[in-house]
This record gives sequence, C-alpha cells and structure tokens, in this order.
Amino acid sequence: MTAVDGTPRPAQTRSVPWTRALAITYRVVLRELATRGRIIALSVLAFLSTLAGFAVGTSDSATLDDGVRLIAGLGLAGVVPVVALVFGGASIGDLRDDKTLVYLWLRPMDRSPMAFGAALAALTLATPITMIPLVAAALLTGVGGGIVGATALASAVGLIAYVAVFTMLGTWLKRYIVWGLAYILIWEGFIAQAGAGVARFALRKYTRSIMVAVTDVDLDLADFSLGVGIGVPLITAVAALAVATWRLAKQDID
Amino acid sequence: MSDLPPPDVFAAPSASSVVTAPLVLEGMIAVNQASKFFGSVVAVSDVSFAINGGVTALLGPNGAGKSTLFRMMCGLTPPSRGSITVLGADPRTDRVVRGRIALVPQQDALFDHLTALEFVTVAAESQGMGSPGEVAEHALGQVALTDTGDKRVGEFSKGMRQRVKVATALVNDPEVLILDEPLTGLDPVQRRRMIELFHRLGDDGRCVLVSSHVLDEVARLGSRVLVIAQGRLIAQGDYHDLRGLMDDRPHRIRLGVSDPRRFATALVDRGLVSALSLDADHVVIDTVDIDAVGRQLAPLAVELGIRLTEVNPLDDDLESVFRYLVEGR
Repeated sequence: MTAVDGTPRPAQTRSVPWTRALAITYRVVLRELATRGRIIALSVLAFLSTLAGFAVGTSDSATLDDGVRLIAGLGLAGVVPVVALVFGGASIGDLRDDKTLVYLWLRPMDRSPMAFGAALAALTLATPITMIPLVAAALLTGVGGGIVGATALASAVGLIAYVAVFTMLGTWLKRYIVWGLAYILIWEGFIAQAGAGVARFALRKYTRSIMVAVTDVDLDLADFSLGVGIGVPLITAVAALAVATWRLAKQDID
Repeated sequence: MSDLPPPDVFAAPSASSVVTAPLVLEGMIAVNQASKFFGSVVAVSDVSFAINGGVTALLGPNGAGKSTLFRMMCGLTPPSRGSITVLGADPRTDRVVRGRIALVPQQDALFDHLTALEFVTVAAESQGMGSPGEVAEHALGQVALTDTGDKRVGEFSKGMRQRVKVATALVNDPEVLILDEPLTGLDPVQRRRMIELFHRLGDDGRCVLVSSHVLDEVARLGSRVLVIAQGRLIAQGDYHDLRGLMDDRPHRIRLGVSDPRRFATALVDRGLVSALSLDADHVVIDTVDIDAVGRQLAPLAVELGIRLTEVNPLDDDLESVFRYLVEGR
C-alpha cells in the first residue's frame, strides 16, 4: 500500500502524546466556547456584582461583614457557579450536542486530556469574566480586612471546582444547563441550607469557608478550615474530571 | 444457528443459505453477527460480512441502519451483540487502530469557527501527523479546496463542507475509509472527482466503504455492493446482479390514455401485462417485461388511435427494490 500521494509507507502505529492531545482539545474548545453573545451576557452578569460592591462602598456605614456577605451571597453563590456552568457545561456538552465531538473522539488520543483540555478552556474564559468583576467589587467595598485576597482565593477555588463538575455534567446530560441550575439554585441555595450535614455536599460551603477563614467574618454553614476549604473543592475537581474521562470513554458518540 | 452472511450473489428473496456452523469472518473490516438495539428498537440485526481492499458500496434506504453500522465500525458505539473488528482490533478500545481509520460522518456538523485549513490541520494534529499544516494543504488539494482563504467553514456551502469532511478523512493516510453518504450535496463535477478519488484509494489496497441510498451512485462507486434494509444485510455481491434483479422484477406503470378500456384490452391481448386496473383516464399495469412494454406502447397507441398522455413508472426507485428483496413484492 502507498500513501495518498503515492509514496510507500509502513503500517501506522501513531498515537498522540497526552500533552499534545490536551493542547489540541484546549484550542478547539476555546474557539468554540468564545462566542460574543456568551461572553457579553456573562460579563454583564458579573459586572452587577461590581456595581453592588460600589454601592456598598458608597455607604458610610459599610462594614467588613457587609462586604463579605455581598461577595459570598452574590459572587460565590451566583456569579461563580453560573459562569462556570455556562462554560464548563458547554465545553464538551456543546460538542456532543452538535455532533462535532466525533472529530476529537475518533482520534488516537487518550480521553483524559480531552476532559482536562475542555475544562481548562472553560476555565480560561470563566476566570477573567468572573474574577475581575468580583475582585473589583471587593476593592470597591472599601472595607479592607483581607476581603480582596479572600475573594480572589475563594473565587479561584470555586471556579476550578464548578468548572470541573459542570464539564462532567456536560459529558453526561443533554440538558446540562437545567440540571446545573437545579444544583445551584435548589441544592446549594435551598436544600444545603437545611443543615451542616447536607451542606458538606455543596461546593458553596467550602468557598464561604475560605472567605470566613481569611476575613474572620461569621457566615452560616461556613465552618471549615482554610485547608479543607481549598482542598476538598480541588479534590472534587480532579474526581469530576476523572468521571468525565470515564464517561467519554464509555458513552456513545453521534 | 441461522446467522451467517447472506449469499455472495444476489438472489431472489425466497432463496436461502443453509448454515450448519458458526463462522468467524476475517478481513480488514470483519462484522460477525453484529446487532445493535436502542431500547426496543433494533437498528442493526445479526449482520455478518467481511471486506478487504477496494471500494465497496453499502446500499440501503434512509433509516436502514447504515449509519449505525458505520458508527459501530468506528467504535463510536459498541455492538449490542456480536463483534466488529477493523484491521484485527476493536476500534472502540484500541487507540492505535483508530489512527488507521477515517470516517466521513453523515451529519453536517463541523467546527464552524475554523477555516478549512485550520479544521483539517486540527484533524492532522489530532491524528499525530508531523507537519500538520502541510498535510492539511495536501488533503485539501485532493478535494480541490485549496483557495478558500480566511472563509470559515460555517460560511461554506453544503458541497464544500462535504469536501472538507473528506479532506479531514485523508490526513492520516488511512488504511480503512468509512464514508457515510459522502456525495450528498456535491455538484456533478465534484461528484465525479470524488468517485475517482475513492477508486484511486481503493485501487491502492485501502478498504473504502461508501454508503449511499441512491442506486445510480452505487453503480459508479464500484462493483461490490452490500445491501442493507430494516437493519438486516439482505444481499451482497456484484452491482450488476442487483441491476439485473431490478430489471427482472415486476414493474408497475401508470399510463394516461384517452380510452383506457380499449387500450387495456389490447395490452392483455398482446401478453404485455400480468395484472392491471383502470379508472376514467388511466391504466395501471404490472409487467415483467419492461423492455417490451417500452417498445410497444407508442406504436400500439398510434395503431388504436388512442392518445397516450402519461407513462409513469410507480416503483422505479430503490425503496421498491428493497421491498422486493425483503418481502418479495
């Protein structure tokens, strides 16, 4: 047998190295995710937290407590998970839904770099859209007390965990947005408020714990140490991407 | 067990192959008693065949199970029963063998934000090819799509998108090409060029499997044909046998005539029809001798002084051939 251009060739035993597969997936997913509408809509959502921070900062009676509650209640409970859901869920979910996943899946590549590359692309877009407005909001509150550093750390940890979990969700469910919103609004926003036991299974508890650990402000259901607040979400992220990898290997591809 | 490949030549539906023992087929693509169920829906049922180098056409109507069979061959979905091997390995689990297969999927989806060159370059990179840019340019040249510049594939016509998909399938210099309706949307010139390309690849010893639901396309694709209908492989063999079968089967034709009763009587008298029905303006005839009917219709109408306004074959399509093969009617 000869090559398409007529030159003789041996039997092929090609496969793509892990890092190259990661880079290819990252580039492709990044281009697919970075639509103008998505970026504008999510930036507007995140900017609302900046406006709220400014509003708090203009008040003469603003305290550190007010600032932390604003960041925890609007930023960590709303902006971070929603932005992560849109990008993380779409990173593989959209490729699966529009049937372009076949162009990556049917290659001599491992599944894990596909999952990690997709999540990394989602994180690349979600990070500036989320963290710049939230850190700006923390700055504009003008309450000091380590709120800026706490916001940056909690947002970063939360983004990594949420993006990974929602990337996994995108490999699994067609309506990942609906299920993701149900998790954010119903599980984290309602059921997990019922008690400390249930709250352990809500990422929000860990990001709130980071805020509390750094600022010493008292928030409900946020009693983990800084180490646990950072460690558990990161472990969750790795586990979620491992499941996404397994799911990619096992699922039917259209 | 009655689960073996259909006969190697086309046969009337009543013909049967007697099977005495299970047989494991071998080939560049080997499908052994493969079935695929989606819940209670049987998409592919107990299909067996083996093919090697050259062009083979997989012929079947829409919904026959062609795409599901192709997806199983590429490892995109596992068979519910039976086995499929490509180049001796399971493409679903063997990463290396996936690098020796190429698929042109039926669906139109592409990464619409990329240019053709970017899209095919990504394919070359993800196949582990060195100099992916050069490989991509060469592949685009194979499908005459080198001058699309910065235009994104999302702005391409259906035919251009189809050619991009074929170029993508060429980048890894594949030993097995699985092409699901690759000629859809192409203009006649591109269609001819593409068929020539498939033949070049097949002549080179590659296993090229092309699906189609258009009989005339299959005629030009190659002489080896697999026919699938209702998820079952109903025949395999030479295209010319299929064509003969199509010509030999009973045909139904509607004739528009000014005096249906007198014209029908004349057709019966001449032994041209095996059955007929009438209405005010038409005669619908069944005939097994389509050539004789074709030759004699007009002279007969002239001879009888009857105006012939319509000659309309009612079953000259692939569906009716499949119906005949499957159901004998």
